Amino acid sequence: MSIKTRRILNIILAAVMIILSLFFLFPVVWMLANSFKGDAAITADMNTVSAFIPPVPGKGFFDNYVSIVTDTSFLRYMFNTLFYAAVLIILGIVVNGLAGYALAKIKFPFADKWLLIIMMLMIIPSETIITINFLFIAKMGLLNTVVGYVLPMIVNPFNIFLFRQVFVSLPDDVYEAAQLDRCGPVKYFFTMVLPMSKTVVATVSVFTFLNVWNDYLWPSLVFTSSDLLTAQIGLNSITSNDNTTMGQTLTVITLITIPVIIIYSLFSKQIVEGVVSTGSKEG
Amino acid sequence: MSYIELKNICKKYPNADRNSVTNFNLEINEKEFIAFVGPSGCGKSTTLRMIAGFEDITDGELYIDGKLMNQVLPRDRGIAMVFQNYALYPHMTVEKNISYGLKNMKVPAAEIEKKVDWAIDVLGLKEYRYRKPKNLSGGQRQRVALGRAIVKDSKVFLMDEPLSNLDAKLRVSMRNEISKLHRQLGSTTIYVTHDQVEAMTMADRIVIMKDGIVQQAGKPMELYEHPVNKFVAGFIGSPQMNFYNVKVIGNTVKFEGGAEMKLPESISERLKDSGGELILGIRGEDIKLESQNIELYADTKQSASVENTEVMGNENNLYFNFGGALTVARVSKYEISRPGDKIDFVFIPSKIHFFDKATEKCLF
Amino acid sequence: MSKNKSNSILGMAFFGPALVLLTVFLFIPMVLTVIYSFTDYFALSPKNTHFVGFRNFVKIFGDELFVQSFLNTVKFVVIIVPLQCLGALGLALLINKVTYCKKYFKVAFFVPVVMSLAVVSTLWMQIYSPEGIINTILANLGIEAQPFIHSADQALPSIAVMSVWQGMGYQMIIFLGGLQAINPALYEAAEMDHASAWQKFRDITLPELKPLCVFVFITVTIGAFRMIVQPMVMTGGGPSNSTYTIVYDIYETGTVNWEIGLASAMAVVFVIFVIVLTVIQNILTKDKEEKK
Repeated sequence: MSIKTRRILNIILAAVMIILSLFFLFPVVWMLANSFKGDAAITADMNTVSAFIPPVPGKGFFDNYVSIVTDTSFLRYMFNTLFYAAVLIILGIVVNGLAGYALAKIKFPFADKWLLIIMMLMIIPSETIITINFLFIAKMGLLNTVVGYVLPMIVNPFNIFLFRQVFVSLPDDVYEAAQLDRCGPVKYFFTMVLPMSKTVVATVSVFTFLNVWNDYLWPSLVFTSSDLLTAQIGLNSITSNDNTTMGQTLTVITLITIPVIIIYSLFSKQIVEGVVSTGSKEG
Repeated sequence: MSYIELKNICKKYPNADRNSVTNFNLEINEKEFIAFVGPSGCGKSTTLRMIAGFEDITDGELYIDGKLMNQVLPRDRGIAMVFQNYALYPHMTVEKNISYGLKNMKVPAAEIEKKVDWAIDVLGLKEYRYRKPKNLSGGQRQRVALGRAIVKDSKVFLMDEPLSNLDAKLRVSMRNEISKLHRQLGSTTIYVTHDQVEAMTMADRIVIMKDGIVQQAGKPMELYEHPVNKFVAGFIGSPQMNFYNVKVIGNTVKFEGGAEMKLPESISERLKDSGGELILGIRGEDIKLESQNIELYADTKQSASVENTEVMGNENNLYFNFGGALTVARVSKYEISRPGDKIDFVFIPSKIHFFDKATEKCLF
Repeated sequence: MSKNKSNSILGMAFFGPALVLLTVFLFIPMVLTVIYSFTDYFALSPKNTHFVGFRNFVKIFGDELFVQSFLNTVKFVVIIVPLQCLGALGLALLINKVTYCKKYFKVAFFVPVVMSLAVVSTLWMQIYSPEGIINTILANLGIEAQPFIHSADQALPSIAVMSVWQGMGYQMIIFLGGLQAINPALYEAAEMDHASAWQKFRDITLPELKPLCVFVFITVTIGAFRMIVQPMVMTGGGPSNSTYTIVYDIYETGTVNWEIGLASAMAVVFVIFVIVLTVIQNILTKDKEEKK
């Protein structure tokens, strides 16, 4: 096979893949295109290619979006979720990061045993203890509070493990140099360890965001008051309303998806790295 | 009065079956440049790290400036350290790296500025001031590490194999720069290295270690000319000293393989009580081939055939089998021999060392 | 203060916050789950709790709904695992080969992964609807309309296919990572040895990917066993319980019926199942490594 035929084959392969990817993405394209349409237009377009093409921007183009933003509390749900995500990212990095650092670098009693326990905890499916945690939070009178929602979500064995794996390869002599420069352990963690490990910090942040943004079961248990709902639960309450049109439903799910797509396009490197690391910890 | 004093310092790691450092005793004067040298695992770095405070001292006492330091935190010992892998803060620029410690010590900003300017100037880092470590070469990183140490006005500098990651050429020039800095700043310096050349060229005194035990401490030439045992004799100097198992009977030395050599009275007299079985050592440069030397020391004349020649440029190393050992002689560049050539040579009798076969102690 | 002692204090100070949270929200719930599984704990009258031995376990295996949800879950696993694993591997191989638009492909096939289960489920409810886009396309092809999630026969496979679509990109990225970690010199050496494309795949790619394959297989399996949100949003477990799953059953028994004892017993059975799978995975991958 010559270099030239190889090149032609590559082009054919790419073309086939593009068609494949379009098939693959048709639900997403359909969602996006029809989120700008009224129900009549959606039904009318269904039979033609225009089912996958947004209407020409004009009067009524943003009707669905305007009605969702003005008539429902959906925007508020989105901001709620953003706020929870921000809180959980910060607390998660501090708590899990400190724990990961302790396991990686501080020779304290049973450090290796703790690590083993953390690794075993990674196996436990969260769905199985969600009921008990719900009873806990209910007993503490924290249902329908931000604290009640956030508290059980802060610690994450997988993130502790991830941090630990990265921190363990940090050079010890930098810590020693910092000690001579009068930098104590806490200051060292925040001003040296975290900046030196930007990638894992970003990875954990992004995954925490996706986790909080996409979580369904836990917020659906903790929150009933509509002031505190997350976007996913808000979606539920909006779509279960009989007055919501199909177009509006598509608008809501498009709105929910936009932030994750933005996050993904900004941090795809960190996401891919995080995903690959779940596979490579086995290797 | 000594500035740093190590008294019976011992280090034993938990779960280890023997000491990493045993009874290390040393007094270091102010402004002295001391090199700890020895093969890897000899305890030289461990000792340095005990002085720095990064390792607990298992037993013994460490004094700096007359104060007991065993329980003092590293940062309060008044030391600065240069690490083998530089240990620069990777997310900080050169300037930030150098000034970080001063900032933490709450030095006024104007003074920090002045000191950093000075350090950057002294070390020739002007163009790199705002670069991060990953954009610097090994030599530049090493300079930054030095800069970080010198701005702190520490009385004591500790350096842990600072040049081992540099290539040979850079190592020579950095060696000179460190020596120069030491003369300028006059801080007491302890320098750990496995490279005897660095120790010889830079140090006022060398401490040579093996298996956690100090073998000998002294001025470079003292160690070179009067090694206390076979280990020191072999470790200091390149190429290594030649060693032979010999029997001394009267004033005759019998080598393995039958060669014999006559010793002057003055030497054989001192070997009288040694029992006869000894190790003879002689440095390559004390084996002579020129005819006037052969005449002069005719008593020790031997012959052999050349195995290999290394042309160094300024001199040649000749390798040949003699007395059951591969022998190297350093000869002048005009002494051209090829493999297979027959040569005559003599040992300069006054440069011969004898070691006890069992204890490997130097007899003289 | 000695180094050891100060390290102990520092270590516990750093590890402490995580440890407290782990204890309260993971250790204790796990222990309680095990304890409750031997009681008839009913959340609405916790005072009337008795020790009942293994009665809960006997009960759940006799419970028609639990058995059905178990069988449903197995069906999900049987459909999802091969489709998702092979699909992900196939995509990864193609994307690894392709030289044009590589970045676009990586993004395109990963997009559904970042969308939430609730969103994807809501979207596919529209797509699967009787007058939805798929049925419209089928009608144009002369095929009669399918009920999809509205029939007991089709609901489960429909949800399974959707789940594969949603999840596949994740494993694809894992495989891609594995493919890129293979030393290219191996392929260059094979090229010098006149290996065909198929031989390179069989003799280099597959053996190098084997540990990753086991990992992906097990994680997809566990993921499929954990199925709950999709049927919850799309079908409520119906029609006629045909999409009710184990985790769904645990969840409803616990948080809707408040039969904590019973739900705990189900959870214990489920966790043991998951642990067994994970142990199998560890044994399989360890063997591989030792052979290397």
